[in-house]
Amino acid sequence: MPIQYYIFLALALFSIGIIGVLTRRNAIIVFMCIELMLNSVNLLLVAFSKMHHAEALTAVADTTIGIDAQLFVFFIMVVAAAEVAVGLAIIVMMFRNTHSVDVHFLNRLKN
Amino acid sequence: MNAIIVSAVFGVLMMFASFLVNNKNVYRYLAIIGLSVLLLANILETYAIWSIKFDSFLQLSFERFGLFFNSIAIAATLFYVLLSGKDIVRVGNYSAEYFVLIFFILCGVSLITSYNSLLMLFLGIEIISIPLYILTGSDKKNLKSNEAALKYFLMGAFSTGLMLMGIALSYGAVGNFGLEGRGVVAFGGSMRVSFLEVAGLLLLFISMSFKASAAPFHFWTPDVYEGAPSVFTSFMATIVKATVFIGMIKLLEARTGIFGPTWQIILPLMIVLTLAIGNITAVFQQSVKRMLAYSSIAQAGFMLFALWSANDMGREGILLYSVAYTLATVGIFAVLVKMKDYTFDGFNGLAAKQPLVAASVAVFVLSLAGIPLTAGFFAKYFMLASAIKSGAGVWLLVVAVVFAAVSVYYYFRLIQAMYFKEGEAEMFEQPTNSFKGMLAIFAVLLIVLGIAPSLLFNYLYF
Amino acid sequence: MLWTNFLMNVSTASNTAVDYFPIGIQLIFAVGFVATMIGVSALIGPKRQTSDKLQSFESGIESVGNARQPMAIKYFLVAILFVLFDVEVIFFYPYAINFRDLGWNGFFAVLMFVSLFLAGFIYIIKKGALKWED
Repeated sequence: MPIQYYIFLALALFSIGIIGVLTRRNAIIVFMCIELMLNSVNLLLVAFSKMHHAEALTAVADTTIGIDAQLFVFFIMVVAAAEVAVGLAIIVMMFRNTHSVDVHFLNRLKN
Repeated sequence: MNAIIVSAVFGVLMMFASFLVNNKNVYRYLAIIGLSVLLLANILETYAIWSIKFDSFLQLSFERFGLFFNSIAIAATLFYVLLSGKDIVRVGNYSAEYFVLIFFILCGVSLITSYNSLLMLFLGIEIISIPLYILTGSDKKNLKSNEAALKYFLMGAFSTGLMLMGIALSYGAVGNFGLEGRGVVAFGGSMRVSFLEVAGLLLLFISMSFKASAAPFHFWTPDVYEGAPSVFTSFMATIVKATVFIGMIKLLEARTGIFGPTWQIILPLMIVLTLAIGNITAVFQQSVKRMLAYSSIAQAGFMLFALWSANDMGREGILLYSVAYTLATVGIFAVLVKMKDYTFDGFNGLAAKQPLVAASVAVFVLSLAGIPLTAGFFAKYFMLASAIKSGAGVWLLVVAVVFAAVSVYYYFRLIQAMYFKEGEAEMFEQPTNSFKGMLAIFAVLLIVLGIAPSLLFNYLYF
Repeated sequence: MLWTNFLMNVSTASNTAVDYFPIGIQLIFAVGFVATMIGVSALIGPKRQTSDKLQSFESGIESVGNARQPMAIKYFLVAILFVLFDVEVIFFYPYAINFRDLGWNGFFAVLMFVSLFLAGFIYIIKKGALKWED
């Protein structure tokens, strides 16, 4: 399949994520939208990896070009997991103190 | 590679100390010892005497500039722990873990100063950010701290998403994650810079401006800096922010000219916007902590000049700027943590009660404002001079100087409150002699660097 | 227009409707199989409607109360730790594939990774994060 299909799909997912972050009120859903953004990047990286690999294959038979992007995806997944752990802990801490996860109530710091 | 490994090892050691040792003061001493060893290890690597070497497969490259900045960051952290270590221990129930997180942040700092591929940049930024989210929310019972942590986390994770998208697009155009990239790529038949790469690097730049709180991506800064426990605010506003600028400089130097002539419009616009928002809003603040948050945005505006000029003088300048800004801000925050009232009125009459503390704070404030004979003056001077060297327009310099003059107003309000107003500046506890001594050392350092800034640069080159 | 051309050049595979034929067959087969199975089991299976069968299945234990109620923070902590330790295993896959090529160097690198892992594990045990009873 042409690479631009993947680019458009990834960008669409990414935009959905951004719009979700900007418009939703529930902190958990905002967080899920951020995860969606990260996963669209994963998709894009894998697609680009395949693309560069196919390109390099025509010149060299046993090339390893394109592997680095797939490894990058692993790192993104692991970092996202670490972020999930910290983020959910923060949201739970917030919930214990205010009994709400609505981000629009985050106005105590506004003067 | 010393700094990366030693800081991670000390982080893990502190983790174990948290359940092996039950004395809070021991944690502080352990952290001080750890930071000293870390500093020593990094200096040994700088002068190529001893270093741990691994094949990083071109992911990392160590050069004098980055290593020297490591030394600055570690030394600043050491001073910071010496000065406000007792307040760090006091924030919550997990005293050892705060030092653990600080060590891990230093690991991220040394990754950012030596990255050679975008993967390491990403990991470095995340290793810095994730502990900072925790430190921001470490005052668990305080609603403001919770809120700041949640805000910081959502904003930070969002900007991480942007950064990753940027890296992915740049990879799509270039075909590797190397810092240098491939430079030219077939684009619509002709050999030009790819649209994807420009879009990617722009996203990358935006997300790093988020972390460095440059306008128009600064809006989380005041809330987060105000909500976070004051001791940790001083850490994240100084060392971390300077590190992000080093990362940006490395990136923009490696891919210089990628944005084409529009760069001459975008960056000056950002500089002016950052200076304007930071300085003008700071004028109206009543709380010293919030004023410092806005002033940190304003100082970021000056640091952006180093990105614009992108020459040796800019590199020297950003180092001096980091030192001057870090010492001054950490010092003011160390005093602020001990005050009962965070407003300007809370400082009324401090000079009469604590002459040495007030004098030190006055020096810090003068340095932040950039008055001659303090390090802050030469820091600002180097920034502007480097911009002239790269051919900046006069209007840009005039704007910068005007806003520096505006900043004098709100900085001097603090001096006015301390020296010329009657009042009872109340503190939680009387500052100990060692605390006063450290403050005085900070002030003396600022003045010495203000008279002879070349003392610092000697270490960069020799 | 220009940059889409650039992207077009890279793709090598052809792109016609025929390429999607196997996917179409698989889709039809999957949907058909599921529909048939559900339909047939509903038609010929015995029906005994008792109150037990309408309850949610909890591995044979009697179900207790509504699922949507606050629960102990312990569950949350264990779940989070599970996510962290579970995802880190991802790095073993590349190692497993390149086990022979990487040799002793790779082995020591993975050993270092596992020992850091173990340090974290000892830390959470000593901190009592996995202690179920207070």
